[in-house]
Formats: sequence, C-alpha cells, structure tokens
Amino acid sequence: MTPPNPTAVEEAPAGTPPPRRRPSLRLPRDRHALVDNFFRFQSLFGLVAVFLIAIAVSPVRNGENIFLSSGNLANIVRAVSEIGIIAVGMTFVILIGGIDLSVGAVLGLAAVGSATLMVDSGMGILPTVLIVLLIGTAFGATQGAIVARIGIQSFIVTLAGLQAARGIARMWSGGLGVPIAYGDGPKEAPEAFSLLSGSINGVLPVPAVLFIAIGIGALLVLRSTAFARHVYAIGGNEKAARLSGVPVRRVRITVFAISGLLAALAGIIHAGQLNQGSPNDGSGYELDAIAAVVIGGTSLAGGSGSMGGTIAGALLLGILNNILALNNIDANVQLVVKGLVIVAAAALQKLRPRIS
Amino acid sequence: MRYARRAVAVLALTVLATTTACSVEKAGDGNGGTDAAAECGSGKEFLIGMSQANNAEPYRQVMNDDVSNAAKDVPGFKVVVSDAAQDNSKQVADVENFISQGINLLIISPNEAKPLTAVVKKAYDQGIPVIVLDRKVEGDAYTAFIGGDNVAIGKAAGEYYAKTLLPQGGKVVEISGLPGSTPAAERAQGFREGVASNPQIQIVASQTAEWLREKGQSVMDAMLKANPDINAVYAHNDPMAEGAYLAAKAAGKESTIKFTGIDALPVPSGGIKAVEQGRLQATFQYPTGGREAIDMAKKILVDCQKDVPKTTTLGTTQITKDNAAQVYTQLGGKQ
Repeated sequence: MTPPNPTAVEEAPAGTPPPRRRPSLRLPRDRHALVDNFFRFQSLFGLVAVFLIAIAVSPVRNGENIFLSSGNLANIVRAVSEIGIIAVGMTFVILIGGIDLSVGAVLGLAAVGSATLMVDSGMGILPTVLIVLLIGTAFGATQGAIVARIGIQSFIVTLAGLQAARGIARMWSGGLGVPIAYGDGPKEAPEAFSLLSGSINGVLPVPAVLFIAIGIGALLVLRSTAFARHVYAIGGNEKAARLSGVPVRRVRITVFAISGLLAALAGIIHAGQLNQGSPNDGSGYELDAIAAVVIGGTSLAGGSGSMGGTIAGALLLGILNNILALNNIDANVQLVVKGLVIVAAAALQKLRPRIS
Repeated sequence: MRYARRAVAVLALTVLATTTACSVEKAGDGNGGTDAAAECGSGKEFLIGMSQANNAEPYRQVMNDDVSNAAKDVPGFKVVVSDAAQDNSKQVADVENFISQGINLLIISPNEAKPLTAVVKKAYDQGIPVIVLDRKVEGDAYTAFIGGDNVAIGKAAGEYYAKTLLPQGGKVVEISGLPGSTPAAERAQGFREGVASNPQIQIVASQTAEWLREKGQSVMDAMLKANPDINAVYAHNDPMAEGAYLAAKAAGKESTIKFTGIDALPVPSGGIKAVEQGRLQATFQYPTGGREAIDMAKKILVDCQKDVPKTTTLGTTQITKDNAAQVYTQLGGKQ
C-alpha cells in the first residue's frame, strides 16, 4: 500500500469541487496538505496500521502466520459482511444528519421472512428475495417519510421502527427460529439458497463478495451523482439546501429506503449463512454499523464523511475482532478495546485542524 | 480527483487482501487439516477451545469456570474461552477462529442448534474432536454430547414433594420457565410424573415467569391473591423461586409456604446458598457438564481412547439444608 501522494492531490483540478466537506478550502501547500491528507484518509491509514499490527502480533503455528493463514482473511471479510452492508446504508443516513436504529431488527425480520417464505410458503428464491427486499425498502421508506413529513427526529422514529420490526418478526415466526432445510420437497428451501454460505472457488465467501460489490457501488454513487451532492448538502445545511432547490423530503425518504433495503439484504445473507431465520437475530447490529461509520470518519452531525471510510471502518473492526480472538484476549477485555478504538477514531476527527 | 484516488486506494487494499488470501489458501493446501488432528499422548501440550453461547447467563459462566478449573488439573491442557454474547453469527466466527488457531479439541455450548451445525461439522471433519455441551447440534458430526436430563430433574423434584416435602399432600403452585422452551416443558412433565405417586398433592395453578426473578415475584403476588392457602411453590429455576419467596414474604406468608428451585449454581447468588440460608427448602442441580467435558477431553487427547460414549446424560443432586454447604464446596463455589 502506498499512501496517497499529497502533491498529486494538490494538482487536482480546482474547478467543479467534489461534493464533500469544505470543498472551497485550500490549505497552503507543503506540510499542511500532508496533515490534511492524513486526517482525510484517517480510516484507511488506521486500517493499514491495524492490518500490519495484526500480522506482527498474530500467533505463528508451524512457521505459518495464522492471521494471514488459509482462509482466515476470508473469514474476516465474511464475518464483517453483514455489518458492512448495513453500515453502507447507515452512511447515507448519517451523512444527512440522521440515524437508523432499526437496521438490526430489519435484518432479523428479513431473515425470518426469507426462511418463512421459502420453507412454509414454498416460494422460489427470486420471489422470496424480491419480496423481502421490498419489505425492507418499504419499511425504511416509511420511516423516512415519517421523518421527512412529520418532522420527528430519526432517532425516535427508528427506535420505534426497531420495536415494530422486532415485533413483526416474532409474530411472523411464532417467536421461534425458522430452520431452513434444503431440497425439493415440501417445507424445503431451494438448494441454491445455500450458496450464500459458500465461497467462490472455495476462497472468496459469497457474502464478502456482495459486501465489496455493494461498497464499491455505493462509493461510486456517493462520488459522482447529483443525489450524493444533495445528501451532503442536506447534512451540511438543510435550510440552505432547501433554498437552493434540493428536494429535501425526497432525498430523506430515499436515504432511509436505501438503509432498509441494505438491512434486508443483510438479513437474507444472514438466513443463508445460518440456515435459519430467527426473529431475535441482529440485535445490536445497528450499533456495530454505527461504530464502523464513525471509525470511517463520518461525522454524526452529518454533511461530512465518505463511503470508503465506512468500508475501511468495517474491515478494521473485523480485523480487530479477529486478531483479539486469535490472541485469546478475554471476551470482556475485547469489548473494552473496541470501545477505546471507537473513541480514538472520533477523537482523531476532533484533532483535525480547523481552518476558518 | 480525490474521490478517484480514494476509491482506487480502497480497491487496491481489497484486492491485496483477497489475493493474499488466495495465494495463502493454495500454499496451505498441502498440510491444511492434517495438523488439526494432533497426535494424542501424555506429556504433550493441548489447546482446547471453549465456545460459549452467552457468558452473561450465570449458568454458562459457571460452565466456563468448571471447564477452566478442571483443565488446570490436567498437565498440558490450555483452555481458551470465547463468548458469542447470544449471537449465532458471532459463535460461528468464534469457532472458525478456533479452527484457524489450530485447537486440538473443541468444546461448544451452542446458542442454537441449526445455525451452528455446519461450523461444528467443519471442525469435526478436519479431525478436531468436538464435545457438545447442554444444547445439541443437528446430525451426528460431533464426537460426544454431554447434557443434563430435565425430565429426570423434574421427576426427582416431584418425588421429593410426594415423599418428603408434602407427604400428607397439599396445594402446590408451579412457576414455569419460558413457554416454548424445552427445559420448561420437560421440567413440568417430569414433576407431574414424580408427584403422581401421591394423589393428595394438587397442582392448583401454573404460571410462567420466563426464568426471571422479578417475574417470579409478580406472578407469585397474583397467585397468592387467587390461592391464599398455597402449601408449596415448585419453580423451574432458583431465581424464580427466590422471587416467589420475596412476594410471600411481603404478604407475611414466607414461613408457611415451602419453596423449591432447580439449577443449584455454586455462586453466592445461586440456589445452593438460598437453601443453606433457609429461603428455599430444596433445589436440584442442573449440571453444567464442564468437568465431565474435560474428563472426556483427557480420555481423548491424553489417554488416546478411541471410543467415548456419544451421549452422556448427567444425573442430578438433590440439595437440602443437610448437604448444601458440602455440595457448595464440592462444586467449587466461591465463599
């Protein structure tokens, strides 16, 4: 990995400022640019640093570095893929200055939906996936509409949404996990659904591929679309955005719909990986996703942050979990370490030089 | 373009990570899997992975302690414990990390059967002996299962009621565990089988308190109003029995009603202490199987025993004031 070259950044054309924080600000060349770039790519540096540290402190067995060993890296990306996909949706929400606490419960609802539709209703994979994604999107859009139309804070709306989604999931499943058996018979799901727990060429887990594909897609969306400019504008200054013609309500609803959609997708993956749709699954995932976004350098105040940061943040959390486990660090100590990392990432944002 | 640069950087990292994974996977093909099944024998070092479903439940914490303490007495045994915090996905990742670490034996107390079956099979297929504790996994891709028998425990409690606690008969209320959970159903069934020998005993009410002490209290409040002449309370676990005791005490009836629980955890807040201190008449041990798992691990790893029993069902111990202090010490409880 070569750190991004600061000079090259300075040479970037100054016209058409990219839709990001303080686009018009120009630091003097030389070391300020270096400092600025360090903070801009903070989570990426953090990811590289944690990656290197993990290699260094990983236990070694038979001369083989376990952290880098067969399948361990694939395990890491697989393990973070659900949180990562949720975090991608969460990034949009947080960029407009909102929060979505319902995603973990929507994941549980989608997992139950996937299992129930295929096993109990005997539906095929495609209709099941489409219906479940539609449910997630509609759920998110409804929350977004309540936020945008009635003007209730998203924290409250999605807190209510969390309860509602959990309740619906429990009613739908009868309170118990719905096991998924594979086969062609009645009460069996199509065999192909189990591909979600497999890997491509036995190396790259399918959920990881989906996470990376969605991450890159979202990165491109956030980089170059009018929608992305609207998102940043609303997060930066909603009033100014409205006055300059940004369709604030529509963007709000869309953002929450995206979050619901991706949470539902994560739920489908969850059901495929565990061969079960349990209504209680995914509890607390919203907090892990928020942690990934925050470590990625996106401000909870909205208007500033990046998708690349979130992806890096999710991977960083995954590597951290993995290396702590490989070194047999006590489970309670692991929680404390993760807490410290989140605070450290947020503190770094505060240290970032402010220019006025 | 800054965005392009960032995207490229992230992409590059992803590609780097995945290509590393690819190349390492190929390199590892030669010896992958074979070193997992370490040769048994004495005088060797063995790493045992203990995958726990949820450390936050006292019963499971005691199980971890039992495993760790028993392993201290076996030279060469080192135990590492992971906590899935009631998350199936986390427990799958925990077991995968154990496999990466090259553990010599896996002890797992699964959060749920179905989601963990595949990863347990993965470990077992790589030659790692797997001992499943308390809750089962599906299929038979594990070495051994060790667990308690809730029907037998309920029956032991019922027989104690029939012969010792209420030989003249009386009115009993039942406070049951979470509806739909297997232990609650089995503890209820066993109890009815046990008291059947004494027709003078009537079960006048049965309410759920979902395993919780605070709910045991509120349920007992209501049942005392409906049945003021209760003789005894059969609770499916100790915390609910303690809650019921508190409710009776508030109504001034704690000395006329007898309380029994199940679980008998050797911890200061557990049922054994409650019996010793006179709040409960009796409790029945639901064994963790932790010590038995290490005994079996020793047979497999140190003694090179090939055939261990596929299923071990543990008995229960009845705890009354006579043996409470002794059992507490015997189970390694903290004073």
